[in-house]
Amino acid sequence: MAVTEVVEIEGHIVDSLILAKVMDIILAAGADYEVVDVHIGKTNTDVSRARLEVSADDDATLDALLVELQAHGANRVAQQQHAEVVEADSAGVLPAGFYSTTNLPTAVRLAGHWTPVENPEMDCGLVVLGDGRVRTVPVHRVQAGDRVVIGTGGIRVTPPARPRGASPFEFMSSEVSSEKPKSHIVAEVAARIRLAREAGAKVLVVAGPAVVHTGAGPCLARLVRDGWVDVLFAGNGFAAHDIESNVMGTSLGVPVEGGTSAEGGHANHLRVINEVRRHGSIAAAVDAGYVTGGVMFECVRRQVPFVLGGSVRDDGPLPDVYANVVEAADAMRALLPGVGLALMLASTLHAIATGNCLSSGVETFVVDINQAVVTKLADRGSHQALGVVTDVGPFVSALSEQLSSAART
Amino acid sequence: MYSQSLAWGRRYLMCPPEHFGVLYEINAWMRAEVRVDLDRARAQWQALVATMRAAGAEVEVLEPVEGLPDLVFTANAGIVNGHQYVPSRFRHPQRQGEVAHDVAWFEAAGYTVSWLPEGMVHEGAGDALPFGGALVSGYRTRSDAASHAALSRLTGAPVRSVELVDERLYHLDLTFCPLGERRAIVAPHAWDRYGAKVMEALVPEPLVLDDEQALSFCANSVVVGTTVVMPACPVTVGRRLEAWGFDPVVCEVSEFAKAGGACRCLTLALDVDVRMCGSEVGDGPRWDG
Repeated sequence: MAVTEVVEIEGHIVDSLILAKVMDIILAAGADYEVVDVHIGKTNTDVSRARLEVSADDDATLDALLVELQAHGANRVAQQQHAEVVEADSAGVLPAGFYSTTNLPTAVRLAGHWTPVENPEMDCGLVVLGDGRVRTVPVHRVQAGDRVVIGTGGIRVTPPARPRGASPFEFMSSEVSSEKPKSHIVAEVAARIRLAREAGAKVLVVAGPAVVHTGAGPCLARLVRDGWVDVLFAGNGFAAHDIESNVMGTSLGVPVEGGTSAEGGHANHLRVINEVRRHGSIAAAVDAGYVTGGVMFECVRRQVPFVLGGSVRDDGPLPDVYANVVEAADAMRALLPGVGLALMLASTLHAIATGNCLSSGVETFVVDINQAVVTKLADRGSHQALGVVTDVGPFVSALSEQLSSAART
Repeated sequence: MYSQSLAWGRRYLMCPPEHFGVLYEINAWMRAEVRVDLDRARAQWQALVATMRAAGAEVEVLEPVEGLPDLVFTANAGIVNGHQYVPSRFRHPQRQGEVAHDVAWFEAAGYTVSWLPEGMVHEGAGDALPFGGALVSGYRTRSDAASHAALSRLTGAPVRSVELVDERLYHLDLTFCPLGERRAIVAPHAWDRYGAKVMEALVPEPLVLDDEQALSFCANSVVVGTTVVMPACPVTVGRRLEAWGFDPVVCEVSEFAKAGGACRCLTLALDVDVRMCGSEVGDGPRWDG
């Protein structure tokens, strides 16, 4: 758990090389610093002043370092406000005046140190655990007696930093545009997925039924089969049509490879849902040989965890669907640790639901033919989302082509 | 153009050793079991005064006070800057009682007293000597680095902070002795590498001491014009001083060395104006004309 402290140093710290020395001492101690601000004296006689935020892995390292820095005149900035903490008096209710979180990196000042929030998530409360760690907790998970941060004093949020320099996504810089070369963007998304992978991060895919309707189901299935997908979030519709297309050859009654509606096809997905319900679960239907291909089939075979969140308009639903949306959100949260990249494919509601749970540090790509989806996600606080406005069918197809050449086992 | 000798160093405050002794241990040299020969100390102190006067210095006297054995080391009384006097704030409680007596003398002499903020530690001219338009100030052992910014604000002088890393050379004036506008005796091994670099840039013509020479306290010398009054003068140091036109005079202060002090420690220059010392002040007025 990283702990941080701001120190201030003033004097002729440039000419006396004290600033350089202090920085060197911090690095030599295995800690790190960030310059908060520097004021350089305008004349030879003016004193200069610098504030450095020092971060170390643990309290012991930081405390020892602060003592050493003090000897060189770098003192911790005095009288920083501490966060106010009160106990929740009933389960499922945050205390009045609770601090409402963003998805940005956040630190809370407690007992003389800045403690980073472990799992940034928007629209939650902050709970201080017994061992001093701080976690975001959604309102329904709050327990009576939980120590909850209230007010805004002693809370620091790090604003989002856009990648600078020659970052592959500099050219996209959060803007949503349909007027950008798609093949290039697909190649960049593929490269980001590979980079995330190399960094040991998990890849999350959020898929809407249009993936199946546009004929991209087999391509996404191939990405799952090749090991590029670690977690899948979707709804009843995506899973039902994915299975329908594999069992009946149609998606919402329309032949995936044909084009004109099949007779009585409108009931195909209901029949499929009914049969899966008979088996008891998608996994059971796969085991029984009822489902023999598709995204859900590959997830079951490769044991890729998935969450199917329900909604009021669901047909069936499939037995795996969470009918309780609070439970669905908790199940999604449980799968988020380790996720470093999220790919949201033609899904409005599930994309927003997922965006609500993601830390701003998770690289997020939203692929949708409708520009409004990306805008909606950003409007709800997921500022890290980069939009690709395009038909999801060709996009997933091209992406699977890009990645299949480097299949992951 | 620069002058060969210092712009200051003709008027000093000194305190006779009537109550001197090693009564406690607050540096690497002090041993409470060591007895001071008070008669010898008096004789050495008188000889030092005579040598300085012979070199052209005026000496003012601070009354000794019983129970304050280190009051003899007037270099630690504070920092003189023109008519301004910044009293020391001692690290060790054993010496904190000296401040009231020092302040009384300076007030009576018409100086304006400017105090460092409470809680800061700085031991006066023992840890601060003017050179090159700046006030060079040591820190760590006896003065705090945090006091340097306050010192600069009070005096208007830019400060060069130098960390003292050898506890045997616990005050700056054991490691640094300005000789003129460009020359100084320096003991770089007593400084950390950043401080050594700062001083290398500040002193164009250093007389560099090795470890053994520095431990003879030869940097703790009083410079009066071209006379350098030294507690010891290693041969190579003396040769260099003579080559530069100085006249090194050894004054034995062995009784005071028992408390970790030598010639400079026993004196406080009263004619210092830290803002006027150094090449950056151009052709402004000089104390030595």
